[in-house]
Amino acid sequence: MTRAPAHLTLVAEPDAADTETWYPETVAKATVAPPGTALEHLDALYRVARSLTGRDDDAEDLVQETYARAIAGWAQFTAGTNLRAWLFRILRNAFIDSYRRSRNNPVQVAFDEELATSASSGREPLHGDAELERLRHLVTTDIETALASLTVDARTIILLDLEGLTERELADALGCAVGTVKSRLARARAILRERLRDYGS
Amino acid sequence: MDCTGTRDYLLDRQRGALTGELRARVDSHLAECESCRSEDAADRELSAALQRHLSKRRAPEALRRSIDGRLAGEPPRIPWVARRTPWVVALVAALPLAAAFLLWVKTSQPDAMVTEAVNDHLRILYGAHPIEVESGGVHQVKPWFEGRVDFAPTVGFGGDDDFPLQGGAVAYFLDRKAAAYVYKRHLHVVTLFVYQAEGLPWSTVPTTSSISLGHVRAKALTTRGFHVILWRDGDLGYALVSDLDPRELEMLGSRIAGS
Repeated sequence: MTRAPAHLTLVAEPDAADTETWYPETVAKATVAPPGTALEHLDALYRVARSLTGRDDDAEDLVQETYARAIAGWAQFTAGTNLRAWLFRILRNAFIDSYRRSRNNPVQVAFDEELATSASSGREPLHGDAELERLRHLVTTDIETALASLTVDARTIILLDLEGLTERELADALGCAVGTVKSRLARARAILRERLRDYGS
Repeated sequence: MDCTGTRDYLLDRQRGALTGELRARVDSHLAECESCRSEDAADRELSAALQRHLSKRRAPEALRRSIDGRLAGEPPRIPWVARRTPWVVALVAALPLAAAFLLWVKTSQPDAMVTEAVNDHLRILYGAHPIEVESGGVHQVKPWFEGRVDFAPTVGFGGDDDFPLQGGAVAYFLDRKAAAYVYKRHLHVVTLFVYQAEGLPWSTVPTTSSISLGHVRAKALTTRGFHVILWRDGDLGYALVSDLDPRELEMLGSRIAGS
């Protein structure tokens, strides 16, 4: 794959409002007890973290960081709203932060541009039976490599959909409008298939 | 319905979540569009491949126990030790026990400089050395130290949105005066002490956790729940102290050392 030169890579600036809402603010607030169901989402968080980071140890760190932020920020979680989407949103933000910080690496977050440029090829006809054959014979690393070539949001929406999140939850986790989820997901999957054509063995 | 509209609904249709009139419109388009049928088949195959390859992983037991403990209010375990236990065990087994013991003794005893940094930070927190000059930016704080400390504290980082500079104060660091810069991170207070490094027992600070801050090497330690980063740059020594997350403290350290 040809990567865009670093200076052309899209770097999403941290969203101020997002930072305000999602960073644990205070020690005092940390005394709010976590919901008893928080551990139920561990496997799903780990799976998504593993697919986002591509490494077992990074995935564990990301999950630890996610729960640490969640524990420090329970007070900001509104009881009765969706815990799963909230945790996944923290995970996504923590991933973007850690990626930026530790790799000193520009991270492509928003996928609108990628989608705009890839949309036409994503919607182009079909690779027919040959594509089906290829998809049937993929190995896990093919999928991981192809996923890694997508922007964070494109990767995340595919992975969260795989975890069974509803459109409402996807919108909450990604911070986008519910009305755009369906087409974002469809396009992200179309791009993934395009990439799998390149990466598939 | 055209191809673009249809494809947004293929996934819902696959999952049986498309009903009524919308389902009929998508079905009718698919019946007459070879291209979308093929797209639908490939998309189903993609779903199957994703399920096959990515859906089976489960969180490791050690991680589950650690998170469970944290949710119950236990302090976090050291992730890398938990994660690389077999590797760590092999390494430690290969070392003479006495060496391991000596290392443990050395690193578990708080160093004088580290202890001093934390004590001075507490004096700032408790108001024994309250902020003496409010920050209007580093260009206001730095000149204020002139005549108050016997060196020019070189700090180019005047705070930003992440770590606003609150102000400065004169403090004592062991046997000498220090310039204290006070930053904030949300509700956490971070103190940076700048002092003349000459004659201080830098080499006795444990070197077990060496980190890189821009062009300088620094030592990162934790004592009494406070995280301390110490480094030297030329004649000056720097001590950054807070109860902030160590990674965030390191981020601030990089901005200061790199400024």
